[in-house]
Amino acid sequence: MVVGEIIEEREVIIIGGGPGGYNAAIRAAQLGKQVTLIEKKGLGGVCLNEGCIPSKFFAEAAKKRMEIDHFKQFGIKIDQVSFDLTVLHKELNETISALQKGIKKLLLDNGVEIVQGTAFFMTENRIGVENGHTFSVYRFQRAVIAAGCKKNRKTKVDHKRIFDFESIYSIQEIPSSLLVAGSSYLALEAASTFQQLGSDVTLIIEGTDLGLDGSIEKELKRLLKKRKIKLITNARIKEIHTAQSAVIYYTKSGEDKSIEVSHLVYGPALIPATAELGVERIGMKLDQNGFINIDQTGKTSVKDIYAIGDITCGIKNASKAIKQGKVAAEMISGIASEYDESNLPSIIHTIPPISSVGLTEEQARQTFERVKSSTFPLSGLGVSAMSSQKEGIIKLVIDADQELIVGVHMIGQGAVELSSAAVLALEMIARTEDLTFMHYPHPSINEGLLEGFEALAGKAIHLAANKQQHNKTESPSQLQQHEQYNL
Amino acid sequence: MIEVKLHDIGEGMTQADINHYFVKPGDRVKADDPLVEVQTDKMTAEIPSPTAGTVKQIVAEIGATIAVGTTILLIDSEMEELTESKTKSRQDEKKPDAGLSTAKTENTFTYKRILASPYTRKLARDNGIQIESIKGTGPSNRIMDEDIYAAIKTTMPVQEEKPQEPAVKSTSISYKGIRKQIGRKMAESLMTIPHCTHFEEIDVTEMAAMREALKSKGTSLSANVFFIKALSICLQEFPIFNSSLNEKEEVITLHETIHIGMATNTDEGLIVPVLRNANKKSFKQLQEDCKKLTQKALSHSLSLEEIKGSTFTISNVGPLGGSIGATPIINPPEAGLMAFHKTKKRPMVNNRDEIVIRQMMNISFSYDHRIIDGGSAVAFTNRFAELIEEPAILLMELS
Repeated sequence: MVVGEIIEEREVIIIGGGPGGYNAAIRAAQLGKQVTLIEKKGLGGVCLNEGCIPSKFFAEAAKKRMEIDHFKQFGIKIDQVSFDLTVLHKELNETISALQKGIKKLLLDNGVEIVQGTAFFMTENRIGVENGHTFSVYRFQRAVIAAGCKKNRKTKVDHKRIFDFESIYSIQEIPSSLLVAGSSYLALEAASTFQQLGSDVTLIIEGTDLGLDGSIEKELKRLLKKRKIKLITNARIKEIHTAQSAVIYYTKSGEDKSIEVSHLVYGPALIPATAELGVERIGMKLDQNGFINIDQTGKTSVKDIYAIGDITCGIKNASKAIKQGKVAAEMISGIASEYDESNLPSIIHTIPPISSVGLTEEQARQTFERVKSSTFPLSGLGVSAMSSQKEGIIKLVIDADQELIVGVHMIGQGAVELSSAAVLALEMIARTEDLTFMHYPHPSINEGLLEGFEALAGKAIHLAANKQQHNKTESPSQLQQHEQYNL
Repeated sequence: MIEVKLHDIGEGMTQADINHYFVKPGDRVKADDPLVEVQTDKMTAEIPSPTAGTVKQIVAEIGATIAVGTTILLIDSEMEELTESKTKSRQDEKKPDAGLSTAKTENTFTYKRILASPYTRKLARDNGIQIESIKGTGPSNRIMDEDIYAAIKTTMPVQEEKPQEPAVKSTSISYKGIRKQIGRKMAESLMTIPHCTHFEEIDVTEMAAMREALKSKGTSLSANVFFIKALSICLQEFPIFNSSLNEKEEVITLHETIHIGMATNTDEGLIVPVLRNANKKSFKQLQEDCKKLTQKALSHSLSLEEIKGSTFTISNVGPLGGSIGATPIINPPEAGLMAFHKTKKRPMVNNRDEIVIRQMMNISFSYDHRIIDGGSAVAFTNRFAELIEEPAILLMELS
């Protein structure tokens, strides 16, 4: 390594070209800043290259496969259905490469300088970038760290029998039997996708719940059962043996057990990429796991350095990183901005998909004295009958004292698209009447939202009266009864 | 367990006194319930609970002065037992924290939703208002734009910081009666009439000499009488200056009678007694009427008849000293107002190019530009100047 003597001056340096980093770069450039983006691997980050895009590509394939089963009711007959994984991989790679080119073009069109290499902080205002045998030093006015996470290498992953939630989407054969460990959205998506593509799937989780609203979780568990995805709860993996197959030893409620499958997928712990960035050297405050502490604008404890996305504390999520990237870029450009994840939608691309905005009923009951909720089964909608996709429910949670909408949860077709209506409602501090008054297109899945709000007042049209009764209860004691009933 | 600490609530505050507690140990609290009131030298503030839970212990005593960062009380969070076993759950993730939150909220679900629309939140950010500290007055306690504006207002004086004494010492006087009448009339006049003011200087040496001569014979004639007499002649020659415009009716009324309003300064403010039929009165009569009206004005004994119906107004500010010019406001529905300023001895150049000492007076003449053009105004003041500068001509014109 030759240390360069020339220090190059830069206005804004962004470390990492994932969704957070490239959004920050473009926004800062739009606001008149000279931006340099440093990327060590490929633009798009984990999201594009390994995470969101590959997994959603597979999920989309699974959805298409599922839809074929409904073709015959429309008179469309397909005699032989076959699935060629190599075609899927080829298309996926082409999509990734096209999206990557798109990001690069956007960055260049906005005048962003792209530097290939690995960055690390030398001092509070100097970054070194190493690329092969070349080494450059930049002095910056502002920096944004968007370097993301890496996986704990101690975790056993051979990418043959044992995969993590990213590498599983580069698998060259559909597993005959797949054990999915974990209750995160990644686990649920992998389980759902590979079941649909032909795997015999078992889901193994440490506790009993999946971290969702009770009603949604109940419906999800029903659907897992319907799809013959086995669920092992209260289990902890002890040992993994691989040879011709994978044998996983685990304890369930203190009892030793084992399961033999062709493949295992699980999520190694994520480690923030802070150590190699040298942020500790410049005195940046980190949490006990090494993630960077930031405020609601992305400011770190070091002046003029911001951090966004997976490398910071809190949930790991591309929508979060994108928003934080824009907030940091605006702050750098002198615009008062802020990040607030209170109404960040949480999305799971299972079949059918799940969306969750705001508080679950359980969280609402810890927060408000009087909570009302309603559940509306999507099977009651004309559009569901028409498309023959009757699974799922809409769950609404309100603070009964203020009539304030505090949670909107959905499992079923259209859940992802409809989640924006929920986010809008919460951001605008909507109350039940606001969502009951408005018009809804017919026939459409949107009507499920209206039925849900009407059910809060016992007035849903397509729901039996006795199923709405609990929604009328007001007193706390009655509400508790309802809770039992509902769960 | 959560430690609720005194955090920096802005204004550069570094310490605060504990005023009183809203809670006692064992009390159950909801997130954002007020826990304690603290006072700084600038403000009092309520510190809200960061979480739902039970008050465990009160650490800081009432009356104590504590520094930022000091623990005030301890709360057992409701969520703690629940969350310990499932730290992987998404909602349990620690929120971003850069020392801005009131307490450590590790592995605790806290509900920190701000009840304000994104637009309102931006309004707060752009004005440096911590929206977390605003209590919403809208439906469902929503924070409204108005709440932010109110907060901006209340924080402004604090920023300017004028301790103890108010910035402006003042006493109030009532704005009613004659003052309010004057004010309303002035505003109305200026709002409706496009004023144009014309300045001129007039040589009053000859007039002064004549007054001196008369005085020596035992007859006092005020300058006002000369001005009124000269104006009466001008107003007859230029009737547009003795008129009223009625825009609504689209008609200009030329008045045959000449009633001169005389702006008079009284201890209660401006009052304008009216000298009627000025053109039909002798110098002597004018002198008597002027004196009478002025006295009545000063003693507030004018009848209603004596203060209405003027067709042109004069304002003689000369005796008050001072000004060399003004932009008088017309007394509606009249078309003009002439102000006379202080007479001064000044070096002037005469016809023979000699510098001579003359007594000079400035006049300011405002007229309604809707109905009078600049040319007419110049002709009017020229004629007026001629009559004053050469009293012989004035005499010639007397009928």
